[in-house]
Amino acid sequence: MSTESKVADNVEDTIIIKDLNKWYGDFHVLKDINLTVKKGEKIVICGPSGSGKSTTIRCINRLEEFQRGSLVVNGVEMVEDVKNIEAIRREVGMVFQHFNLFPHLTILENLTLGPIWVQKKPKAEAEAIAMKYLERVKIPEQADKFPGQLSGGQQQRVAIARSLCMAPQIMLFDEPTSALDPEMIKEVLDVMVELADEGMTMLCVTHEMGFAKKVADRVIFMDAGEIVEQNTPEELFNNPQTDRLQLFLSQILDH
Amino acid sequence: MANTFKTDPIEFKPAAAQPAPSSTVGPVAWIKENLFSSIPNSVVTILVILGLLNVVPGVIDWMFISSTWSGASQDACVSDGACWVFIQAWSQQFFYGSYPSDGLWRVNLSLILLFVVIVLSFTLPANIRLKVSVPLFLVLPFVCIAILDGRLVGLDYVNTDFWGGFSLNVLMAAAAIIVAFPFSFLWALGRRSDMPLARSISVVFIEFFRGVPVLALFFMGSVMLPLFFAEGTNVDKLVRVWIVLIFFMSGYMAEVFRGGFQAIPSGQYEAADSIGLGYWQKTLLIILPQVIKVSMPNILATFVMLFKNTVFLLIIGIPEVLQTLLTALSNSNWLGGHAVEGYVFVGVIFWLCCFGMSMLASSIEKKLDTSHRN
Repeated sequence: MSTESKVADNVEDTIIIKDLNKWYGDFHVLKDINLTVKKGEKIVICGPSGSGKSTTIRCINRLEEFQRGSLVVNGVEMVEDVKNIEAIRREVGMVFQHFNLFPHLTILENLTLGPIWVQKKPKAEAEAIAMKYLERVKIPEQADKFPGQLSGGQQQRVAIARSLCMAPQIMLFDEPTSALDPEMIKEVLDVMVELADEGMTMLCVTHEMGFAKKVADRVIFMDAGEIVEQNTPEELFNNPQTDRLQLFLSQILDH
Repeated sequence: MANTFKTDPIEFKPAAAQPAPSSTVGPVAWIKENLFSSIPNSVVTILVILGLLNVVPGVIDWMFISSTWSGASQDACVSDGACWVFIQAWSQQFFYGSYPSDGLWRVNLSLILLFVVIVLSFTLPANIRLKVSVPLFLVLPFVCIAILDGRLVGLDYVNTDFWGGFSLNVLMAAAAIIVAFPFSFLWALGRRSDMPLARSISVVFIEFFRGVPVLALFFMGSVMLPLFFAEGTNVDKLVRVWIVLIFFMSGYMAEVFRGGFQAIPSGQYEAADSIGLGYWQKTLLIILPQVIKVSMPNILATFVMLFKNTVFLLIIGIPEVLQTLLTALSNSNWLGGHAVEGYVFVGVIFWLCCFGMSMLASSIEKKLDTSHRN
């Protein structure tokens, strides 16, 4: 098999997941996940903890292996090959719950690391790109500080900018606001909404239902490793079909 | 909802801070709290003070008051106190061994270079610190060897038989730890590797050099290592010992590094992966700098251990400082029994160096505390 085997010419479908199954040892965490994401589509994945929602999006850039099924990202099929995995990772940006900035590098260095070492851009160009995205997330003045000197909300915005510097086709968000103090959630969500408005393809695991209603084209509800329901936000929240989703919605909305 | 907050705002003034109660601050409170907080504590405090009163004046008297500081030979020592004349007379040997007197500057230069590189590695601006100090450290041992040996840089050749004294302990330990550094990093990586072969080789290596006493290793180095070299090649004794120290040290440091690797959150690896960095880019750019940072106190502790272990070199007849002392003690002009002075002296210089490194380690720990909150 060639390293970047094109299997789909239909570029409309950016991500095609077919019958994805994953086990941790004997534990079946993902069961027959089928999901197709169109270019520019915004998808919010919700569900109780342990339902496999993070694991699903972490499979997309191969932070998690899967044992059965197939996954095509931007026309490249995920196979057991370093070159192939790196090709997919170049197209996919990811934002983590705990930011995962590199604490020994300045904000600017955090942002230029990928462009310089992966995309082999000259330093000046990488820095120009980095400053552009820092301005977009509204913290250019923090460029020379270290991550430890920033608030959680600022760190998460830097993390988003770091992913954007790689000019990804797809952005994955793994509970980006769960580790933040309440007063900082909005600044991060604002950046994400802006990004959505610009047409980025986004998969977002989050419990921010307001964000889902505002931005998502489709909301997916997962439980026990399966996709239980998927629909537009209005339909899904106002007209849940399964008792499991009804229970989940009553738990997250009644407080 | 929002309306409930819409009343006229009242200006909020924080209350002024009040001083802490006087019974909890100041020296009297400190003594009460730390020395006499309970009856058993008070008894222990008094016993310790009595014990110190018993011992300390005698020691001070021996070391400073009735001691002899100047003179030409041991005949000058007539009092009951320490005879520091002995140390003074032999000081050059203690520090430089039998290195030629007109070449002592070469030893000093090596020590100064070592000191400068160490200072640079802590004082350079953070963004170029690793980039500059790592290469400097790696060439340093070879530069020092070239200076001491002399042949490569056009100075008089000094055979390693003449190298010795405390400077040899310092340079030997430094040269060993520096070369051990990259090796130990590779062993630690190997031990964490998914590849069974790399992992088992690393485990066997690390556990061998951690499990065998350093004295046995020195004997192996001086007796066994030559068996592996081609017949006729005569590898210098110091080089053989150096190799042994490097292996010994890299076994220990590999475990220090492994601890450091485990302290790095998995999110760091995932973030590096998600950007698309390859294995070595991820390891060298993201993981290694953080591992070195968190392992620094333990690296220094391991270095202190290795530094002290260099006195065992006397077992295989290398004239390091303790060996030089033994030579001096058996000299016919100095048979007055100056062993105590000699051992106190060697103890004090080792203690000063090791204590200095401990201070360095704790200051690094404090620095880490503030810059590593994430």
